[in-house]
Amino acid sequence: MGFSWKTYLKRYWTLYLLLLLPIVFFIVFRYVPMAYILMAFKKNNIIKPPWLVDWAKNNGFEWFIKAFKDQLFIRALGNTVKLNLLDLVCGFPAPILMALVLNELAFKRFKKFTQTVLYLPHFLSWIIISSLALRLFADNDGLINILYKQMSGNKDAVLPFLSQPSWWVGTYIGLGIWKEAGWGTIIYLAALTGISPELYEAAAVDGAGRLRRIWHVTLPGLRPTIITLLIMRLGYILGSEFDRPLAMSNTLVTNVSTVLSVYVYQKGINGGGQFSLTTAVGLFQSVVGVLFLFGANFLAKRFGERGIM
Amino acid sequence: MKRILALALALVMLCSIGIVAHAADELVDGKFAETRHITVRLFQRGDNIPEESPWADYIRKGMLEKYNVEVEFTVGGRWDDEKDLAAWLSSEQAPDVCYTYSYSTILNYADMGGMIDLAPYIDQYKDLLPNLFNLLGEDNVYWDKDPEKGTLWALETRLVNNARINTFIRKDWLDKLNLTMPTNKAEFEERLIAFRDNAELLLGEDAAKMVPYSTSYDIGWRNNNLTVSFVPDDITDEELYIRGYDDRQQFLPGAKEAMRLLNKWYNEKLVWQDFALYGSGDTTEDDNLKAGFVGSFQHNYDYPFRNGEDSIDQNLKRNVGPEAEFVAVDCFENDAGLHRKYLGSTVDRKVCFPATNDEVLASLLYLDFISDPETIKFLQVGPEGITHDRDENGAYVKKTLDSADPYYQASLNNIDFTMTCNGLYLGEYTDASFGYSLAPVDPALVADAYAIAMNDGRVPAHYIMPAIEAEVGIGTTLNDERNSFLGRAVTASVEDFDRIYDEGVANYMSIGGQAIMEERAEKIEAETGYKFAE
Repeated sequence: MGFSWKTYLKRYWTLYLLLLLPIVFFIVFRYVPMAYILMAFKKNNIIKPPWLVDWAKNNGFEWFIKAFKDQLFIRALGNTVKLNLLDLVCGFPAPILMALVLNELAFKRFKKFTQTVLYLPHFLSWIIISSLALRLFADNDGLINILYKQMSGNKDAVLPFLSQPSWWVGTYIGLGIWKEAGWGTIIYLAALTGISPELYEAAAVDGAGRLRRIWHVTLPGLRPTIITLLIMRLGYILGSEFDRPLAMSNTLVTNVSTVLSVYVYQKGINGGGQFSLTTAVGLFQSVVGVLFLFGANFLAKRFGERGIM
Repeated sequence: MKRILALALALVMLCSIGIVAHAADELVDGKFAETRHITVRLFQRGDNIPEESPWADYIRKGMLEKYNVEVEFTVGGRWDDEKDLAAWLSSEQAPDVCYTYSYSTILNYADMGGMIDLAPYIDQYKDLLPNLFNLLGEDNVYWDKDPEKGTLWALETRLVNNARINTFIRKDWLDKLNLTMPTNKAEFEERLIAFRDNAELLLGEDAAKMVPYSTSYDIGWRNNNLTVSFVPDDITDEELYIRGYDDRQQFLPGAKEAMRLLNKWYNEKLVWQDFALYGSGDTTEDDNLKAGFVGSFQHNYDYPFRNGEDSIDQNLKRNVGPEAEFVAVDCFENDAGLHRKYLGSTVDRKVCFPATNDEVLASLLYLDFISDPETIKFLQVGPEGITHDRDENGAYVKKTLDSADPYYQASLNNIDFTMTCNGLYLGEYTDASFGYSLAPVDPALVADAYAIAMNDGRVPAHYIMPAIEAEVGIGTTLNDERNSFLGRAVTASVEDFDRIYDEGVANYMSIGGQAIMEERAEKIEAETGYKFAE
């Protein structure tokens, strides 16, 4: 027989007390502000609280309709999905591969050193990275292009890392991997420590070489972690970083670099003043994110994993 | 029922007596009987603390003595005016006196009920505001008055000096190459080619850093002399207005040909190849100018002379030599043979009072106080002997101050403090003092630049009309799109120019440019009968 909640409360009241503060935090800073989601369905007004403002046209859906008729929104939506998918395809496996390699390093000291070096870029802000990128990759004054010009002997030879939209996407994704892959290995390395050494020994006794051991022991051991992180990543498919695209962008590539967060910034506080429209876009992003999260979770469970919910 | 009605009427009467009595009571001998408190927006630039400067003290002291009004400054970054306004208004913390450069932003908040309609107050208190009316003039005061609704959401402050854009060229390079100052576009191009081809002579081992002509992501502003020289001189005021929402003049007839020429120059390596990669606030281009790698550029008419010791002019002299200098040059002729420039009008920043302002009179008196010629004079030139001396003609000769000096002015002529006045305003001594206002730069250079910037100037006409609704909330987006497609077109190959430029214009028009043009055409036709044919 189970205990009643009173019994639990009596026995573990200190733990519940500890929980109180985070719960209050979430209610005050996460749930109460959600009342302002109403703005998405009301006339554009930030002066009055949204519950005092009249409903927007088309039964409150004026801003959603307007957004989907706005070609700049459609473009931002497309860019967001495109960049996030590329990030997922190229960026998601990177820390896994890196963790596998690190795990195989025999010298402990060298491993620690390499790990630290790999983490470091994570602590640089995108603002710093974007200026580094300019010094390195600019068409004319960038270090790489200066070297390239000298080596190719052609003064007009240019690798347009930042100025051609398709190249820019590559630079953007590449720098994302460079910055975050090392940091991403931490969680995988932690999961690796949970794999019993006996499994490796048994595999070795059965004649499995290094690659075989990775394939049959390490990767299956990482599977739950990989699935969990993948689910969380998919929940973010319409989400967008803000500082990264804003800092990395330049006027030649706004066609491919303006993602939803930047669109919201421009249309909202940066002079646009269209707060209801941008709230609607934000809400749309969140709803799609939640749908993806549930979808991925459902699929994970279908494939026999634990999922996150 | 009757009793209730009578009671209500009596109440209304009592209230109105109270209001009238209150208004009359407010000022005793031109001063508030009780100390009032107002907050005022103040721009900050760089790392100085403007609210602790002697300028701020002067205003605070003056307002307290003259009107018994305490002034508190609310500081925000120079480039954050619109973001700050949004944040302040939504949290009901906006300063009582706000300003921004975007009227459509003010209109947007007015529509939300966030602004005070100034029309009744201006009418009521006009007699108490002689300095404000003198400085701004009726034109500026009522510039934004809606002819249909009678509302007035903002006061247009005064732009005293409406010079805009100049072309600058390295005079010492021309001398070194035995070349004369260019007098027309063709000669200008020849000079750029000469700079490019003589990079080794001019820059020695830095030859690879040669930039014959520099520009920035803001192509429209930074090539404005070039652009305007391709616009037919007989363009009417009405057409200028209808196509002129973009203050960079990029959608006037002829603008495309200007960009085509720039594209040609870009492909001939006459233009800085990386210009489009650097955004607003980046100092790379200024660093190039200061280091002496750049031959020519177009910018604000006094750009190389600004910022005292840290000006481009002074840095250039330190880095290259005393002979190195940028001088203004007037060589972009139009179809009528004139060196046309479109000048600013008489309006500058737009001052507004948020709805949370419950000290309208005190706020208006603040505007009057800082529009007083004496106040402006102090704020612009400071105390004699400390920030300036007088020469034999009475001109105010500014001293060069270190940026750590409390009297250092972070903005040109202290415009951050002279909210209602942009430009030197020293009465009869203005002209004589003008050259000295950019000390330690040679006054003759400054005077020449100003004369060139004003030469063949044309002020686009202003029409008093209902607000153009299509303009609300779209400005930043349109500007970004304009910069983006112009950047791509200019950096494209010569063959691709037409395609990219035309696509860009079509896109700009479809996301809002066309709607603005059509609404402007419609309203101007209603106002003046002018028929616009695209």
